[in-house]
Amino acid sequence: MRYIRLHRIFISQYLKKLMEYKTDFLLGAIGLLFTQILQIMFLGIIFSQIPALIGWSFDEILFIYGFSLIPKFIDHLFTDNLWMVGYRIIRKGEFDKYLTRPINTLYHVIAENFCVDAFGEALTCILLLAYSIPRLNMPFHWYTIPLWIIVTVFATLIYTSLKIMTSAISFWTKASGHITHMLYMANDFSKYPVSIYNKFVQTVITYILPFAFTAYYPASYFLTGKDPLFCIGGTVIAGTVLFTLALFIWNRGLNAYESAGS
Amino acid sequence: MENMIYVENLRKEFKKIIKEPGIKGSVKALFKPKKEIVKAVDGISFEVPKGEILGFLGPNGAGKSTVIKMLTGILMPTSGMCRINGKIPQEDRKNYVREIGVVFGQRTQLWWDLALRETYAVLKEIYQVPDEQYKKRMEFLNEVLELDSFITSPVRTLSLGQRMRADIAASLLHSPKVLFLDEPTIGLDVVVKENIRNAIRKINAEEGTTVILTTHDLSDIEQLCERIVMIDKGKKVFDGAISELKHNFGDIRTLNFELVNAPDFKLLDYKRRFKLSDADISAERDKGSVKVRFDTAKVSVEDIISYTLSTVHVKDLNIKDVEIEEIIKKLYRQEVSI
Repeated sequence: MRYIRLHRIFISQYLKKLMEYKTDFLLGAIGLLFTQILQIMFLGIIFSQIPALIGWSFDEILFIYGFSLIPKFIDHLFTDNLWMVGYRIIRKGEFDKYLTRPINTLYHVIAENFCVDAFGEALTCILLLAYSIPRLNMPFHWYTIPLWIIVTVFATLIYTSLKIMTSAISFWTKASGHITHMLYMANDFSKYPVSIYNKFVQTVITYILPFAFTAYYPASYFLTGKDPLFCIGGTVIAGTVLFTLALFIWNRGLNAYESAGS
Repeated sequence: MENMIYVENLRKEFKKIIKEPGIKGSVKALFKPKKEIVKAVDGISFEVPKGEILGFLGPNGAGKSTVIKMLTGILMPTSGMCRINGKIPQEDRKNYVREIGVVFGQRTQLWWDLALRETYAVLKEIYQVPDEQYKKRMEFLNEVLELDSFITSPVRTLSLGQRMRADIAASLLHSPKVLFLDEPTIGLDVVVKENIRNAIRKINAEEGTTVILTTHDLSDIEQLCERIVMIDKGKKVFDGAISELKHNFGDIRTLNFELVNAPDFKLLDYKRRFKLSDADISAERDKGSVKVRFDTAKVSVEDIISYTLSTVHVKDLNIKDVEIEEIIKKLYRQEVSI
């Protein structure tokens, strides 16, 4: 498909750009490594104090935490440029450029940048899963892996859609970076079992900002094999609904775009 | 000839929140916003035949860029419509922009960190230009815009003149039928300007590309355009050939008197002598000569000459035809209306 071919070209151009600023890249990579090591150490300290949490064992909690990072890092890797929409691109009228090109604007904005920082999250994610999975007795069927892939796709869509929506607000308000940021912070709730929160928080992260479907619900299905309809189906529905809504808001936003004086 | 661009009663309104000065005003505007509707473009209509280079003029803030942005599909008109190359930009954006080229002189469309050549390679994919055609096109653009010397440099290292040439080449890569140039010569030196004008002329002549050009440099207009559309405060104030503009204002002349004694200048008082306002007559001293600009409908050439000759000693005199720059200056200052 044409967009996949284009994406490959954008990625290779991005890598060339990265090499253009070698020192920056190197320092960034070192910094990232440190943050991730610290984060893992921090997790170790917290979880060594909590042997179990409302019916979830230590290893199960690590699994949920690791699972939550999969859609997060994929979204982070591919759609990081959406942040710039809310912070700069619209306010400065830089969005003009995307509107004069014969490809989908949303795709163009997203494809233009990659965030290699996301590999830090990927590293943590892999370590947590590699540590926890062998210690757990998870049900395994022939459909577990395909299901896992489907869940990953839709969970990533939940992240990306929320980012698209909040970025698109800036078509009307000119800047919305802080709204995106606020929302993004809410995803921290998804790293832990939903049952530890009160009813209000549970409702919000299940039905309003369905971050719980990016991690806890599908992860708990893979752990226990219970409630597949709600845990997996919920993720698919939430991802689909949000993405449809996001596209709708984005397209409405294009009509409201006011550019900037030149 | 068929029309390439068709604009009818185009309007664009922006809502503006009025703030009182200071932080207090800003806070007040946050809770009790006072809104005002600004009519940036207020009912503009014009047509451009295929293959024409149209000069689009107007003072700063007249609404030129807003019109261009509506024509290129960036902005949604509040009302009215434009049809270009048989398409309505806002309805069929992706297909429409495939056949147009856009350059905003103030803002680059190139990727800041990439080598120029890489930028073109990305654009080639975006516009799906076939390999063979791309090769030919690059050769042609290289020849016209002389990109060779900097095509391997990253865009951020280009000089303004190089960047503008690179931007124009980028807008032409996919052989557009219509080219929108918004201030393509802004901030450039004479040589680069000339180079860019030649390129525009050549592309227009060889490929029949329709061009809309906005600029503040009137030599661009005089050298490239047959016809101009002038707007002010969102309304069209003139639409016609440059010769017509000159003809309409042909009654404004400039007489140049070279004086024997330069200090004699102060003896001349045209305004009082002919009882006319600044708009109708003005005299300027330039070293040893006096430049008198006047409206021949109000005072004749003969009267000016005889008054001057009877008041001071004149070494030499000449009459200059009206220049487009003068007319436009006056139009911008609203000293005359059409």
